[in-house]
Amino acid sequence: MFLGIFLIGIVSAIGEVSYCCEKTIGGAWCQNALEEQCSIEIDPFTNTPYKKVPASCEATSYCKLGTCISEGDCMENTPERRCDKELGGYWEGKDADEIPQCKLGCCLIGDQAAFVTQTRCKKLSAVYGLQTNFRTDLTNELVCIASTMSDVKGACVYEEDFSKTCQFITKKECSELNAGNGTEFYEGVLCSAETLGTDCGPSKETTCVDGRDEVFFTDSCGNLANIYDSSKINDKEYWTNVYGGGESCNPFSSNANSVSCGNCDYYLGSTCKDYKLAGKKATYGNNICKDLSCKYEGENYEHGETWCADSNGVSKSLPGSRYFRLVCYNGEVSVEPCADFRQETCIQSDIDGFKTAACRVNMWQDCSAQEEEKDCENIDRRDCEWKEGKCVPSNAPGFNFWETGGDAESICSIASRTCVIKYEKKLGGDKECVENCECLDASWEERQNEVCISVGDCGEKPNYLGYKGF
Amino acid sequence: MEKKKGQVTIFIIIGILIIVLGILIYAFYPQIKTTFGFEADNPSAFIQECLEEKIVNDLDMLSLQGGSLEPEHYILYENEKVEYLCYTNEYYKTCVVQQPMLKNHIEAEIKESIQERVTECFDNLEKNYLGKNYGVELREGGVEIELLPKRVIVTSNRSLILTKDGTEIYDSFEVIVHNNIYELVSVANSILKWETNLGDSETTTYMNYYHDLKVEKKKQTDGSTVYILTDRNNGNKFQFASRSIAWPPGYGTDNIVTTSE
Repeated sequence: MFLGIFLIGIVSAIGEVSYCCEKTIGGAWCQNALEEQCSIEIDPFTNTPYKKVPASCEATSYCKLGTCISEGDCMENTPERRCDKELGGYWEGKDADEIPQCKLGCCLIGDQAAFVTQTRCKKLSAVYGLQTNFRTDLTNELVCIASTMSDVKGACVYEEDFSKTCQFITKKECSELNAGNGTEFYEGVLCSAETLGTDCGPSKETTCVDGRDEVFFTDSCGNLANIYDSSKINDKEYWTNVYGGGESCNPFSSNANSVSCGNCDYYLGSTCKDYKLAGKKATYGNNICKDLSCKYEGENYEHGETWCADSNGVSKSLPGSRYFRLVCYNGEVSVEPCADFRQETCIQSDIDGFKTAACRVNMWQDCSAQEEEKDCENIDRRDCEWKEGKCVPSNAPGFNFWETGGDAESICSIASRTCVIKYEKKLGGDKECVENCECLDASWEERQNEVCISVGDCGEKPNYLGYKGF
Repeated sequence: MEKKKGQVTIFIIIGILIIVLGILIYAFYPQIKTTFGFEADNPSAFIQECLEEKIVNDLDMLSLQGGSLEPEHYILYENEKVEYLCYTNEYYKTCVVQQPMLKNHIEAEIKESIQERVTECFDNLEKNYLGKNYGVELREGGVEIELLPKRVIVTSNRSLILTKDGTEIYDSFEVIVHNNIYELVSVANSILKWETNLGDSETTTYMNYYHDLKVEKKKQTDGSTVYILTDRNNGNKFQFASRSIAWPPGYGTDNIVTTSE
């Protein structure tokens, strides 16, 4: 298929010499274009006109593509000219995976992680005032993010204004508090623990924490406590020791809109939000696990579901029709159009009622070149079907038939068919059809039109809004 | 008697109107505010107040226009000039990165845009303190912009020495604006890497990683894609365009196309 496309590209270029424009008149850098589209302005850096030569940009030195390295970030497919040295850029004429500085690893910054280069990791660590912790053994972004382990927190007890108070922080933070000799740290213990004898105790307040999905209790001093569970509001043990998500109420469930449990899970469809945003109030506190599912055209979709839209005329591949993918995240549905002219179709799968969809390239281009039904309907290679002895696209593509220079006419002509009917003259002067008589049947014309409209925006059909063509 | 009463009423109404007008001018014209009214208890606060609005406005504009205040090569999307950060005018080909150092470019754009305002603010600061009988010594210095996680820091390296009863020395001035452009630019760079290699990207990947991020992908008829990144918590936005592995109508025999040129 791509060979075919490539050949078309070369043929089309014949007669019009393509130039490599360092800059086009529209402001794009390093483009293969017609000479008149190259900028004739003076390059302020060199005081000479922007370069152009009748060659492909890949063959020129000034538009050779490489990798631009800046603050540890590596950007491939970049011309050297755009990698500004004055702004700290450094260009190499290689792919990023051939450059040691571009090797990615896991940068652990406190209780967060980023999959970046070592240089970027150093920069990020400096921003947060932390020591660089760069791990090259974690070579996958997901594993990296999953590996984040927050330092174990606990009750940091100290004296303030002649009373014993507490902060729920890490051991390191506690030692940096400089709160005097009496400071003590109790790992895995909450500030509300009665045994500590501080002025902090249980409360009925809750909070949301940046980077976490769950609703947390806070103690009377405002410190973070365990995950909100209304049944544990008076449970001394629950206000003494730290419990993880798996040990808290109703784990492995979204707990969306639950008035009693704040063990929310983003991947299961809920996250901590203020009750005013969620539309429902928990038994205690102002926060709740907000339901992230969506309602669209009367149907419910789970958070994270994607599905193909039932858009106008797309099932019949009418001119102007287009595939769309719909995405439900955080209670909002967003519309993602697939490529226009039905050059992409939307495909959808359903596992236990959870829909996943994607825009995928419509592989119609070499249908007309298939002569065997078996080859035509090889779905691994192409999206075609066998109709009336011809191989036609399963999803007819669209054409810009209203513009001159398009290829609608040449593609539609593939479906053109001439039927020569032979008659024999009888003795009495009557004619009798003897060859291709089926062409006289009205259904033959219908069938041929069927093939014609299957090729693309050809033949007689209304557009996606129902307006008839002329 | 009634005539007199009527006159008094008119005077009261005119008086109220003048006061309301004065309040409105004070509230909506920061330049007037800084020249006449802003109390410079602290020179750092004065500069923060004086520059913040300009920086916020610039950031808003940069965010909607793909990181440039005056985009040169753009697609018009919902009346906004959205700059192409990666582009090819051909079909079936991956894009050429147009802005590989996006963060640095945005920093440079802000720096250039606020130069005049910085000078204005320091002039006003000087006038303000001279008016209060301070001895003012202001030394020139450059401006540095840094996009950082959750904030943008503008550092003016002008130094200020104030003398009255004692001496106060300020070596530099920092203006901090809370904005998530750093995070959004990082995501934009990641999307661009996908665009340069595959001509497309998967929006849900980013929304799975970053729970408060909304990524929208709007494919246009000419094969361009407009990406809109939104922080759901504060509404901060960053939108940019890319054209990579574009598919033509039909076979696309007219291989070289021109878009927005």
